[in-house]
Amino acid sequence: MEIKLVNVGKKYEGRENFTIRHINLEIDDKDFCVILGPSGCGKSTLLRMIAGLNSITEGEMYFGDRLINKVEPKDRDIAMVFQSYALYPHMTVYDNMAFSLAMRKERKEVIHERVMEAAEILQITDYLYSRPSDISGGQRQRVALGRAMVRKPSVFLMDEPLSNLDAKLREHMRVELVRLHKSLNTTSIYVTHDQTEAMTMATRIVLLNDGQIQQVGKPEEFYNRPANLFVAGFIGSPTMNTFSGHYRNGKFISENENIIVTPNAEDQAALAPFEGKAVHLGIRSERFLSGEGDDGKIKANVEVVEMLGKEKLLYCKLSDGSECTISQPGYFEYAPDEIHNFHLDKDGLHFFDSESSERIN
Amino acid sequence: MTDNKRNTEQAVAKIQRKKLSRKEKLYLSDKPPLTTTGLILLIISYAILIAWAIIILWPLYQMTTAALNGSLGRYISLGSTFTFSLKHFKTLFNETHFLLWTKNTLFIAISTALLTLVVVSFTGYAYSRYRFKGRKASLMAIMLIQTIPAFAGITAYYTIHSIVASLVPGFSRQIWLIMIYAAGGIAGNTFILKGYIDGISSELDDAARIDGCSNFQVYRLIIMPIARPMLAIIALWSFIGPFLDFLLPKILLTDPKQYTLATGLFTLISDMRHMQQPVFAAGGLLTAVPIIILFISLQKQLVSGLAKGSVKG
Amino acid sequence: MGYRLHVYDELNRPYERKNLYLRELAEIDEALAEKRGDAAELKARRHELIKQKKDHPYIQKLAAAKAAEQQKLKEIRAKKQSFKATDYHSKTLARWAYELYEAKEHEKFYKPLRELSYDFELAYLAATTKLSRLPAMIAHQEDLEVQKEALEEALAKAKKEPREPIAQAIAKRIEELKATSEAERKKIKELHRTRQISTKAYKNKLGQIKRAESEEVSTAKSTLDPVFRLSDQLKNIRHHIKTDPQAKERVLQSDISDIRRRSPVETELTSPWRAYVTAPLPGLGQLLNKQYYKAAFFFLLSLLVYGINIPYVFGKHNYRGDGLAGLIGLAAGKSRVDRSIIFMIEGILALFLLIFAIVILYLSFRDVLKVERDKIKGVRPYNYFETKKLISRKGFPYIVSLPALVLIVFIVMVPIMSTILISFTNYDPQHQSKFVWTGIANYKEIFLGRGVAGGPFWHILGWTLLWTAGATTLAIAVGFFLSLLVHQDRVRGKKIFRTIYLLPWAVPAFITIMMFSIMFSPGGPLADILESILGYPFNVKNSTSATRVVLILLQTWLGSAYVFMLSTGVLQGISSDLYEAAHIDGASPFQQVTKITIPLVLYRTAPLLIGQYTFNFNNFSIIHLFNGGGPFNPAKYGNIAGSSDLLISYIYKLTIVKNYQAIGAAITIVVSLFLLLFTWIGYKNSKAFKEN
Repeated sequence: MEIKLVNVGKKYEGRENFTIRHINLEIDDKDFCVILGPSGCGKSTLLRMIAGLNSITEGEMYFGDRLINKVEPKDRDIAMVFQSYALYPHMTVYDNMAFSLAMRKERKEVIHERVMEAAEILQITDYLYSRPSDISGGQRQRVALGRAMVRKPSVFLMDEPLSNLDAKLREHMRVELVRLHKSLNTTSIYVTHDQTEAMTMATRIVLLNDGQIQQVGKPEEFYNRPANLFVAGFIGSPTMNTFSGHYRNGKFISENENIIVTPNAEDQAALAPFEGKAVHLGIRSERFLSGEGDDGKIKANVEVVEMLGKEKLLYCKLSDGSECTISQPGYFEYAPDEIHNFHLDKDGLHFFDSESSERIN
Repeated sequence: MTDNKRNTEQAVAKIQRKKLSRKEKLYLSDKPPLTTTGLILLIISYAILIAWAIIILWPLYQMTTAALNGSLGRYISLGSTFTFSLKHFKTLFNETHFLLWTKNTLFIAISTALLTLVVVSFTGYAYSRYRFKGRKASLMAIMLIQTIPAFAGITAYYTIHSIVASLVPGFSRQIWLIMIYAAGGIAGNTFILKGYIDGISSELDDAARIDGCSNFQVYRLIIMPIARPMLAIIALWSFIGPFLDFLLPKILLTDPKQYTLATGLFTLISDMRHMQQPVFAAGGLLTAVPIIILFISLQKQLVSGLAKGSVKG
Repeated sequence: MGYRLHVYDELNRPYERKNLYLRELAEIDEALAEKRGDAAELKARRHELIKQKKDHPYIQKLAAAKAAEQQKLKEIRAKKQSFKATDYHSKTLARWAYELYEAKEHEKFYKPLRELSYDFELAYLAATTKLSRLPAMIAHQEDLEVQKEALEEALAKAKKEPREPIAQAIAKRIEELKATSEAERKKIKELHRTRQISTKAYKNKLGQIKRAESEEVSTAKSTLDPVFRLSDQLKNIRHHIKTDPQAKERVLQSDISDIRRRSPVETELTSPWRAYVTAPLPGLGQLLNKQYYKAAFFFLLSLLVYGINIPYVFGKHNYRGDGLAGLIGLAAGKSRVDRSIIFMIEGILALFLLIFAIVILYLSFRDVLKVERDKIKGVRPYNYFETKKLISRKGFPYIVSLPALVLIVFIVMVPIMSTILISFTNYDPQHQSKFVWTGIANYKEIFLGRGVAGGPFWHILGWTLLWTAGATTLAIAVGFFLSLLVHQDRVRGKKIFRTIYLLPWAVPAFITIMMFSIMFSPGGPLADILESILGYPFNVKNSTSATRVVLILLQTWLGSAYVFMLSTGVLQGISSDLYEAAHIDGASPFQQVTKITIPLVLYRTAPLLIGQYTFNFNNFSIIHLFNGGGPFNPAKYGNIAGSSDLLISYIYKLTIVKNYQAIGAAITIVVSLFLLLFTWIGYKNSKAFKEN
């Protein structure tokens, strides 16, 4: 089912400002869409609006071509997995999974069939008649998924479902969720603040901040072409290095003139209107090249070295005191308190307008 | 833990019996070995504990024997010899309104519990789950009302009863008592239940709503079953209250046939002419035993209810 | 106030006026407000415009359209009879068929009128929405009905089939299932017997097997028995037939409501004067605003207000009293049977009924005012569906709290109020039937310690405070000390001690107090023991100090059990890590108790312990039942109080026994204020309250 949001906004009662506003979004059928953002950005509000748990103050929301602004949650043909799983503690696993169908007075035979089917896929048949308090966190997570599955919804909503699991289980469930999504072939919307989850699972990411959509696209677009400074700083670990400065005479010159770089021809064309204006330069840690380049060198004082195996992460201080993170192949030798020279890979430069913080190239 | 204990106990026993040097034996306990001062302190502790146990048991023992001692007349005294007899119980059942009092008390207690439950389960849910105008102010009012003692309105209780009774024919003093008990409990119990429901994740409400529940169904199918332990405690305390209260029935109930156990049993010892001390002991015993069993078997729940009701928690 | 150029909706979105007459007026008003042009001339033009309203081309056009609309609506309504329920599968379908027809006609009729007024535009948009939805809804519903009929037919047929083979098959299947679960049970029993699984797991498993079995059995029934299966299916279809239309109509109404919210109204009103004029009669304003259901509801309340509340306030339907007037006159000058107290309480009831009536009038007034103000701004009033939705969303807490409110007002507030008022009268043995207002005379008597009733006040207060502090603190100390003793690692028989120490709490207090009272009376067991120790007969109940000491000890006996239980609970919950850490830090066992145990237990049980102080402050039972407040000491305490009376038992004697109700009430008020202050300070600083 496609989902379309047109200029959607939400204002809570008793609040001055809109929590989120002017949200325009199209989610394709069978997408695995991850809504990503720091806490308090309105991502849960957005999900709850899609679920029908929060009302929509303005704008329209469509499931397919059906306007669903005022449709109640139970009539939206959705299922939701909650952060705390929200399993009913006074019911067995079986009854938890059967509850929504029983509320619809579905036939017993159908209920049994569906519950069993979901239980088998999720491998929880052994404790169908246990109570949620008697099973482990990972199992509860599966039950929560199972409860959503038995409804055979056309949209699957998940609100940080993995945040209560330990790191190892989380990694495992990530893979399993993707597999499940592929086999069910249902449109899924997944809310998280964890960029790793977003980058690994999503077919499409929506990045929210301050109630506004910052960027929508495929994971690699977020990494390779961040739409603004916020996205650049949010996606990728370590975060992108950014330097403020000016674009003058076809060159980027940083504030203290310790970084001077001539962009490649393509970027120069994009930067032409910004001649003489303040711009930000962004570069990922792996786009630093060792040694001196055509535009001279960047002197970096290595402060901390992190050995990650195939690569080394260098936390450095530049001559003007600004910090940057550089990654180099693991077999290169570096030690703290050494000074090394680097230059920038010209195909890995990101330029942002300092005024609007929007991407230029 | 039990192993440790057993070891200590063995060690203590050995010291006491043989006064062996401890170094010869392998010492297995995690605790430091018992010193002489420790031993003396332990003995003192036992002495105090046993003494207090006797202080507690002796009056209860007196009551029990008095109830069963056939050689006692109208007074309880130390000197008389013990002859087992159930005659005081016979007197209790045949010559007093004991059964009627029990019935009255049960009626008042059960009705109070039910009325409290019905009213409070709604208010507790509303205060926990809804943000509405006047919520904070009324919560404050609830807490203050809770502290005003029940006797504050005693003068008016009579008069209000006669006014209402003139309008509603079946409005007995017992029903009035039930309403006073229930109304007095609304404030505190709402607060307790609200606190408990606050602890139930509101994601459960959301999940239920997606699963197809209406407001009322969320309350009935999800919240109430989960809050059942706390509801049980509230019902239990509301049920026990009328058994223990003396003041209100004393003031409101005038006919001995309407008395509760507390006021009824008091008539057996309050007046020289009808003094029936052993019969009172028999009645007291019969009343106390079920309540003792209830309290001891449910002590944990009863206390947790109290603790949750306290505001600082 | 004049007209504005635009009308606005709830979210303050502006809309162009469609009413050209009003627009012209608004233009003039705007010019006047901005001081453009000649004011006198503008005013004259405005005046002229209003005078000539009837001849305004727009107004004429609108009137014509409205007349045509009336005609058309009448025509459409006339057709309603032709949509008989018998021609359709169900009433709902008949209604929908009519609504579809209606929507078609509306769409045709209102389409050309859209630009004339927002009302017409709304009607047109609502009709198009209905046109887009109803056909699908009807088709879905018809489909369900057809399915239902087919199922009913199949079911009737299946019922005629011979039952026996089916029953046999089911019985066989159930037997098989039982056999499998029996086998499983055996397996688990074996596992449990050989201690491979715990008893808890064993019981759990048994429950699971039982649950699984019943699930399988009912599934077997539905697969093997066509009657069972078909009726199950039928139940499902019937459920859909019932609930689907409700849900779909709700959605349809919601969507129309959405359109309504974006469709402003234009009114010639410039001030909400109707709200003020109709304020005395709830319902009338709503009627004028064309909110008929709301009007009906408020008219009902009007009936209540003018049928019961207001007459009562003026003395009608009173039991004996004279409504609110009785509160002031207190039956002065009335016949001998008229008692002041009844007049006072009925006066208070009248006061509360009056407050209730005023609240209703105000709510109604505010409702009308809001609707009118909104209308002037441009916001369309809520229709029945929208109001209903609003109430079901926001009204729930008010509706469910109503019984509690009524109970609290009439059972808690009215009595407290009357106690407050009585304390300002001379209600005493000489004035039982008629009493009058005397201002703060009673409070003066109490504070100065004068008069028959006020005399012993300070003595009693002193003993009450001493008692509260002494009995409670001692009980806490003893209870806590005992729990520490029992909690020692090396003490054996913990369970037995704990059960015994609980008994004073578990035995109803009135029984033990009465028992002690018996034992201390002359000839009683404890009196005998006392005599053998002292060597001479000594009656505790005749000595003030002995009675007081015994009372405090008795309360220690009773109260320590509760404290013991509380602190034992906390002690068991203190993690041993804390003690180990303290041990490593070099704390002696004594230091561990004073630095860790005591603060922790006190901190966790503080509110409950404070509650013990207020409890003892008001501990009526123990005083009354042990010695009736005695012994008496008329020289110091007068003829009413005994020397062991607390304030509460003194109040009891004053009001119930000796009929000094006014002084009793005054003391009650003083005590309550004191307790209120005490709790208020406690609550204000409590975490739990701040979080709310």
